[in-house]
Amino acid sequence: MLRRTLAGAVLGALLATQAMAQAKTEITFARFFGACEGDYGTSQDVAKARGECGVMTSLVNLFNATNKDNIVVKPQIIEWGPYYQQLNARIAAKDIPAIAVMHAAQLGDYTRYVEELDGVLKEAGIDAGDFTPNARTAVTVGGKIYAMPWDTHSWLWHFNIGLFKQAGLVDAQGQPLVPKSVEEMLAHAKQMKEKTGKPYIIMATAGAGDFANGARGYYSWLYDQGGSIFPDGYEKANFHTPASLASFGVFEALAKGGYITKGLDGSGVLGGFMNGIGAVYMTGTWRIDDFLAASAKPGGALSEGYTTRAFPNLFKTQSVWTDNHSWVLPKGGTTPATRKAALTFLKFLWDHNFDWARGGGHLPARQSLMADYAKLPLRQFVVDIPSFGKALPHEVRRQFGFQNMIGEEIANIVNSGKTAAQAADAAQERSVALLRGR
Amino acid sequence: MATYRRGRGLGDRLLLLAVVALAIVWIAPIVWVIGLSFKPNDVLMRSTGGIHLPPFTLKNYVDIIASSQVFAWMLNSFIVAIGQTVLTLVIASLAGYGFARTNFPGRNVLFVLVLAALAVPEQAIIVPLHTMFAAVDLHNTYAALIAPRLAFPFGVLLMTQYFRAIPAEIEEAALLDRASRLKVFWRIVLPLSIPAQATLGIYTFLHAWNEYFWPLVSATKPAMYTLTVGLASMQTNFAQTEGIGFLMAQAVFAGLPVLILYLFFQRHIVSAVAGGGNK
Repeated sequence: MLRRTLAGAVLGALLATQAMAQAKTEITFARFFGACEGDYGTSQDVAKARGECGVMTSLVNLFNATNKDNIVVKPQIIEWGPYYQQLNARIAAKDIPAIAVMHAAQLGDYTRYVEELDGVLKEAGIDAGDFTPNARTAVTVGGKIYAMPWDTHSWLWHFNIGLFKQAGLVDAQGQPLVPKSVEEMLAHAKQMKEKTGKPYIIMATAGAGDFANGARGYYSWLYDQGGSIFPDGYEKANFHTPASLASFGVFEALAKGGYITKGLDGSGVLGGFMNGIGAVYMTGTWRIDDFLAASAKPGGALSEGYTTRAFPNLFKTQSVWTDNHSWVLPKGGTTPATRKAALTFLKFLWDHNFDWARGGGHLPARQSLMADYAKLPLRQFVVDIPSFGKALPHEVRRQFGFQNMIGEEIANIVNSGKTAAQAADAAQERSVALLRGR
Repeated sequence: MATYRRGRGLGDRLLLLAVVALAIVWIAPIVWVIGLSFKPNDVLMRSTGGIHLPPFTLKNYVDIIASSQVFAWMLNSFIVAIGQTVLTLVIASLAGYGFARTNFPGRNVLFVLVLAALAVPEQAIIVPLHTMFAAVDLHNTYAALIAPRLAFPFGVLLMTQYFRAIPAEIEEAALLDRASRLKVFWRIVLPLSIPAQATLGIYTFLHAWNEYFWPLVSATKPAMYTLTVGLASMQTNFAQTEGIGFLMAQAVFAGLPVLILYLFFQRHIVSAVAGGGNK
């Protein structure tokens, strides 16, 4: 009798376990942003998470622990550099993730492989009317939405206020004077060099991963002039327009005057800015909290003050380069059951967009969060970026290829003394290969 | 005699000096990498100088070990590297012996084809290779990680040349005693080719251990990552600026098993490489 009871209990337990296991719905979640199990392996405290990896890991932990539908999100993390190569391989091999992260700059290349989300977002309870103008443009291709926007990230000027004070380039409130024209910027740069002996601009141009820096500056100044590298359609680029030459020319003038750092890689310029080797560091929105923390430490090169501004308009209309992280549903990545789970997770992410913006260092994709975002330190200076930030149109394929190519030419201007005209010639020639077979 | 000894001594000392200088040049970056791996990342964001000065930390290594899958990735790397090494040795030896010692129709054409494969870069065949493995649904398996590298033309060339250098008379005596080809190969030729086998084995193992791109596109499920792909996946998007210590710890961690293997088999490896060079 006892044996029978025990056997029944064991069988019951087994069946219950199996039933529980069956009720779980697993969805795969392909992303970069790194892995940080050491710091955030079990953390669900999203509000305390810092950095892209910390916030993403905590969000997934929180969702897996609290969702009521027994959904388990399985992150499939890959290094950011070859992420798209692997995604291509996965699509080709039909090993397709349910949800995948995607830069808006890449979305134009993938519309055949990801689902249209117009109706899907509504089904998930996500209000597309809350997208910022920048986020809406970023995820819309040919009038259709192909991704859920996650952020806007952009290019800023980060200021060492101590050096600006030393150079006499501050206003009555002790804030740095931001130039309004190329001539004014060069005059400030000259004054900075004469008074402090330091270059005005710090920019990484040496490493393979640094070429985006120059390209983002080039795009920003091109857009300020209302310019485009595709003025006559997307079949042929034109790097010889007056706006393009002027944008290359800004870097040429900075290099010729010795107003920009030469031959430094990303690590060198980041450490260099925190050690006071130059006055303005051109880099992204994601660095604000690092520099605020550095400026809070007494005795450091930033201890006299640090601030940031949107990339300055040196021409006609304020604009700046932007890109966006977004989430896509690759075609064939879900079954009817996992699709529902994927939408539930997308909605969860949407509801935590502010956590990403706060901890991850980017601007929110939701207009309704902007007021709260502006209350974060120094964010009042960058909060308007989604209203004037721009990106290459989605019709331009291989945008990262263009970014690297333009950045390499700017690195040549800065490090090797190439002229703006020579850089434009080289970019023109190289663009042919990038556009081949589009 | 005394002059000869003095001359040789001076020459030896100069040689030693040159070797020491070269060793320092070779070791300095490795010492630098190890030093950086014990430094906090926030310190390295400011400066990568002064690796001998505190503060020091073990956090970069703790973060690697904290990954729940890192030892599974290491096991995958071992299975792939050892599997690839053993099978490459078998295939390259048999093929090399065939080209060196047997006559069959089309041998020369086939050998030229093998040599021609040396000129085909890996990037040129990656797409058809991936499509082929996808068609038979083999991605995310050890077979897919090991098989594409087994056709190794350099290995076939190396073994062919090595077998050709072994005097044929040694085999002929055995063949006269009615030993089969396979028996001659197994009992006589193979033991004589140990130095070449060791050279090819070391080369194949290190290549397989360090390989990145094929595992990246074939092993897309985290459980099947090799150590190179797995460790890289842990890097944040700004690792090269804000995670230098972690990057360096990853390099040390990934290199450690190979270093330990080398320490154990140092004597064999050195003699194999030297023997391979001298025949």
